[in-house]
Amino acid sequence: MTFYADRPEWKDVTPIPLPYSENEPVVQIMYSERFKDVYGYMAAIMQKKEYSERALNLTTDAIECNAANYTVWHYRREILRHLQSDLQDEMKFTESVIDDQPKNYQVWHHRRCIIEMTGDPSQELDLTEYTLSSDAKNYHAWDHRQWVLSQYKIWDKELEYIDDLLSKDLRNNSAWNHRYFVIENSQGWSRETISKELEYAGAYIKKAPNNESSWNFARGIIKKNKMNYSDFPAFKELCVGMNESHIPSPFLLSTLADINIEEGNKTAASNIFEQLKDLDSIREKYWTFKQDQLQVGS
Amino acid sequence: MSAADPIVETDEADMEDKAEDLPKQLLKDKHSKFFKHMLGLLPEAYQSHDSSRLTLLYFSLSSLDLIGALDEITDKQKKELIKWIYSLQVKPDHEHGYSRCGFFATDSLPESIDANYGHIAMTYVALCSLIILGDDLTGVDRESIVQGVRALQLDSGSYQCISFGTESDARFVYCAACISYFLNDWRGMDVEKATNFLLSIQSYEGGFAQNIGRESHGGSTYCALAALQLMGKLDAITEESRARLIYWCLNRQQSGFNGRPNKPVDTCYSFWLGASLTLLGAKDFINKECNFSFLMTTQDRYMGGFSKWPGYLPDPLHSYFGISGMYVISGEVEVHPALNISMRAYRHWQSQCTS
Repeated sequence: MTFYADRPEWKDVTPIPLPYSENEPVVQIMYSERFKDVYGYMAAIMQKKEYSERALNLTTDAIECNAANYTVWHYRREILRHLQSDLQDEMKFTESVIDDQPKNYQVWHHRRCIIEMTGDPSQELDLTEYTLSSDAKNYHAWDHRQWVLSQYKIWDKELEYIDDLLSKDLRNNSAWNHRYFVIENSQGWSRETISKELEYAGAYIKKAPNNESSWNFARGIIKKNKMNYSDFPAFKELCVGMNESHIPSPFLLSTLADINIEEGNKTAASNIFEQLKDLDSIREKYWTFKQDQLQVGS
Repeated sequence: MSAADPIVETDEADMEDKAEDLPKQLLKDKHSKFFKHMLGLLPEAYQSHDSSRLTLLYFSLSSLDLIGALDEITDKQKKELIKWIYSLQVKPDHEHGYSRCGFFATDSLPESIDANYGHIAMTYVALCSLIILGDDLTGVDRESIVQGVRALQLDSGSYQCISFGTESDARFVYCAACISYFLNDWRGMDVEKATNFLLSIQSYEGGFAQNIGRESHGGSTYCALAALQLMGKLDAITEESRARLIYWCLNRQQSGFNGRPNKPVDTCYSFWLGASLTLLGAKDFINKECNFSFLMTTQDRYMGGFSKWPGYLPDPLHSYFGISGMYVISGEVEVHPALNISMRAYRHWQSQCTS
């Protein structure tokens, strides 16, 4: 790749060199010659506020050198607005950067800005699905997808998508969180919905009794909606049944302890905490504390 | 129950070294070398960190401070460092008013460029670094910093990091709270709005997310709790929510800590969760020995520093949080759990920086 300093079409620009000191270095990054070349011209172009096609291409190189440079991304958006550029090209560009650096904050923000400019979210579900196919828990991709869904109210296919993700990995906590998010924002949490969702989570709990994600979901939809376990007898039955089958699960036991406390059965709760000290020994001190708390409360 | 459903999932299979071969202590000399090296020249591979270069300085200084090696930097070098940090402070001007104010991450783009703005996280680490170095903050243009912070708060109560428009989340509310605390000036924050935002991001799981509806996360949980503590609003979390929060935080411990359910344990969460549980008064429930043993597997015994996972190369972020995470949990060296600096640095701030 030819340096900008060697390109005739850039002769009119005097680069601003990066301050660089090997004599008195302070967390001094040893920038490559290419980095120094690109940023020297980038600084000069931003200084004279040139909004042109060549400036746009320069930001592409500057982003390639350092995709976390928020100033360059911001300037790129200014150029796009000035030139009224074709944003379909910009969509492709952001996709290539996302593909390369799926955990970069700046590119995801840029993508959101572009969607706000076009008002067309039609490619976003595919994009995030693609990103999540290689890392199903990528926080940035989920954030973007959830922003798009809330902004453009496209809820109809989401539960299906979640079913698919959970069938592949029932421990995908991001998918469980998404399930909560979708229901909260589409149908809302009626008592009936909570019952249905407890049944859904219950099936996964039976499959993998030590999966924290499905337990958090089941308990969360009850508690976050300020309901009691006694409002959902089928869920209680599931827990009691699993316990009678001696399935060793700290999540099962701690749920049963909560149920017992809710019902005022302190002795039963205390016995469960005793079991937890052993089964969940890494948290032994916590379970001892919970057990002691029962006495304080009486 | 099948073998695929273990009670406690650990990454022990991934460990490259046998546990009995690992050092049983923090290798302070190695870490000191690692971070002193970072203060000077960094290889080309760090180019992608240019836009958070100041955080590299903060990680190095705070690590050296915590391991008691700050005196290994000469006074002359400390002066150079302080001078460089102040050179990154953005001055208010006619065109932008205070909207660009704060600190830059790096000097690779000059202040004369209109599009170049201060970044709230850089302002936070700049103040931390200055305090650690023993500066008295008289060189800080307090009014411009406070007004710069104020320009970043959104109607929702959350903060973006740069006033030209960026993503917004709990990280930047945390930075705003630390800056306001350090400057003892809260005009940059509508505390009630910020509190409501932070309460709204506690998810059904009990932990806090980056934004409303997002997944609970160890890092955002820390940001929310530390900010609330600095704002004097930790009591705004209800008793019931607090109990679920403690349970969620404690469940992050597998050996070390993970940041979300069913994710692998990772060095930095020793700090995020260790400090969160400290702020919640629940630190004693942590299994310190298990966490320590995990950290011994990510400590690099040749180069110094810590990696994210066993068998990976060390990096500045995980190196810092390995050290601060170990100390915040063990208490062997006192760490301010909300400001994320040593108590030594905090006491210097108390005596020299509060006007």
